[in-house]
This record gives sequence, C-alpha cells and structure tokens, in this order.
Amino acid sequence: MATDRIVLTVPAREEYARTVRMTAVALVGRLGVPIDLVDDVRIAVEEAYVFAVRRKQPGGDVTFTFTVGDGRFTCEVGPLADALETEGTDESGERYAAFILDSVCDEFELAEQPDGMHVRLCKYLA
Amino acid sequence: MPRRTHNQSRKLTWDKQHTRELFIRYKRDEDGGARDELITMYLNLVRYLAHRFRNRGEPIDDLIQVGTIGLIKAIDRFDIERKVEFTTYATPTIIGELKRYFRDKGWAVKVPRRLQELSFKVNQAVDRLTQEKQRSPTVLEIADYLEVTPEDVLEAMETSEAYNFVSLETDRNTDGDDSFSILEYVGQDDQLMAVVDDRATLSAALKHLTPQEQRILYLRFFRGFTQTEIARQLDISQMQVSRLLRKTLRVLRENLVREVLE
Repeated sequence: MATDRIVLTVPAREEYARTVRMTAVALVGRLGVPIDLVDDVRIAVEEAYVFAVRRKQPGGDVTFTFTVGDGRFTCEVGPLADALETEGTDESGERYAAFILDSVCDEFELAEQPDGMHVRLCKYLA
Repeated sequence: MPRRTHNQSRKLTWDKQHTRELFIRYKRDEDGGARDELITMYLNLVRYLAHRFRNRGEPIDDLIQVGTIGLIKAIDRFDIERKVEFTTYATPTIIGELKRYFRDKGWAVKVPRRLQELSFKVNQAVDRLTQEKQRSPTVLEIADYLEVTPEDVLEAMETSEAYNFVSLETDRNTDGDDSFSILEYVGQDDQLMAVVDDRATLSAALKHLTPQEQRILYLRFFRGFTQTEIARQLDISQMQVSRLLRKTLRVLRENLVREVLE
C-alpha cells in the first residue's frame, strides 16, 4: 500500500490544536482501525502540540507532516526552535508530554536537524 | 464517639444524608433557610466546575457567579423522589449555565445540538458493537451502524470531551476498592518520576484523581493495556475509558506543569 503524505501548517497557537487533532484522527479513522488506536493518535497529537506551541520559531507557524500507509501513522512536527521560547516556562511540560508520547506511540523521538528540532512519532496501525 | 475526618482528597464529597434532609425541609416544608444552606453547601461544586473554564479569559469570580445561578436552578428543580444524587443532577445544569454564558458572549464553547446528540449515540454504538464483535469497533463500523459519515463520528467523539463531567459521586461509588494509588507503582527511576522533581509534587497532583482514574492511568501507561482491555477489566465502557483517560491526562498536566493546552 502506498504511503500518503498530508501537510498542515498552522499558527502555533492553542486554538488550532483541535484542527490539527481532528485532521490526524480523520486520517486514521478512514483506515478501519479500532477506535482505541484512533484515540491513541488523538492523545499523541495533542501532546505533540505542546512542543509546537512552546518551541515555535520566529513567525510562529508550525508544520505537521502526517503520513499514512503501510500499516503506520507518522506525525512529524517541525522545524521547531531549539530552545524554549518563553521566558520563565520550565521544562516539566515537555517532559510530561514526552512521557505520554513515549507510552502512547510505538516510536517517538526528538531529532535535532540543521533547521531546528523535530518531533517524530509513529503509531503502528496493524 | 469521635468523628472520622475525611482526608484532603475528598474535599468534594458532600454529606448525602444532610443534603437529603435539607431538600425535604425545602421542598416539603418550604423552608427558605434550608435552600440557602444548600446553596452555601454546594458552592464548592460551583467553584470546582467554574475552574474548568478559567482559561477562557473571564474573571473567575464572574464564572462562579454564573455557575451559582445554575446551582440555584438545580436546587429549585431537583426532585427528591428521583433516585439520583444531587451532584449528578446539578453538575450538567451548572456547566450548562457556564456554557450558555460563553455562548451568549459569542465565544467558542458552543457545541451544536446535533453533535451533542450524535455524541450520545456514538457512545451507545461503541458499547453495543464492542459486545457484538467482542473487540473495539472501527470508526467505519460505528459510522455504518449509525448511518452517518466517519467524520461525524470523529467529531462527535471530540465533542463528547466537552461534556465529560462525569459525576464526582458516581466516580467514587462505582469504585469498590478505594485503596488503589498509582504512587505505589511509580519507581524512583521511573519515567513519570523524571517528569516531576520529587515525589511530593507527583503525590499532590495525583490527589486530584479518583482511584479509578489512577488505575486507568496505571493500566494504560505502566502496563500498556489497550482501552478495550481496561474497559473489560474495570467493567466500564471503552468510551468511558477514553474520556477518563483524556481527563486524567489533562488534570495531571494542569497540576504538574503550569501551562494548559486546550
């Protein structure tokens, strides 16, 4: 089965969290997987959004790249700023998000790339 | 005889017997003092619910005031013959009042009626299909069953989150074993421990969860159970697990970290 790629760029603000979440679950929902898995994807994307909001790059947009196919759903968020943007925010929010992502996803990584940090997660749908 | 004191995590529990007496005095004897006492007694519930809306830019005092109107409506309409706890009855009324307030201000907490109804139907469909098929149904199966589109189902599932104010009382009562605490399962070098700096912080955050919620958290994240497996184990519906799980994650985040994602 071919892999489809869906790209969504939104302002990195909380009010777009729902749009991104709904897009992700709509993509997975089409594939006939149990709703348990759909719900995991929902939770994962919600947590990934924490990174997006807290590490937005100048300009404030963030890009979500989803792929579906070959029994997998992947979501890549980035490029993001390497450092936390807001003064005074501690890291516990991200550590918490990372804990949840690690539990909910089959693969989860934070990757440093030349253009910034990327959050990558993958959920096996088979 | 010394009275047993309630521990801190139970500050949202109300005295059922006293509530009932007050309602009888108010409804049968038309005792206005009893009504006032009920209002005072349940202001904590209003405060608790109003806090759920605190990040929407309205002063919390205003929200409490609006919520109190809902509380008074609930007290006036409550029928003591019905076999339902007052908190169960009052919670949706108070939330309804708060939501109406935001809606009247033209803000985006509105949930179309169509979706509210669909969300309810999706809930029932998941239960029924899970039983029929002995596994968690797919979105497509639910959509077929209800003769709606898969997108409708997903949107309804998202929506039901907004109505996820399960009665606090029911939460406790359906939980036979009160003693469960996820803290017992969190090791020193655990990932969850790495999130917070010390056990006291985690312990304080977990106080906001009922034993049932803690158990769900434990089964999902420490034991890797699926939602369907958890539902079977706790004898609740998969949708309930889904909602409780999301609520649990949110409550934890709100208490562990400062920022909140809507």
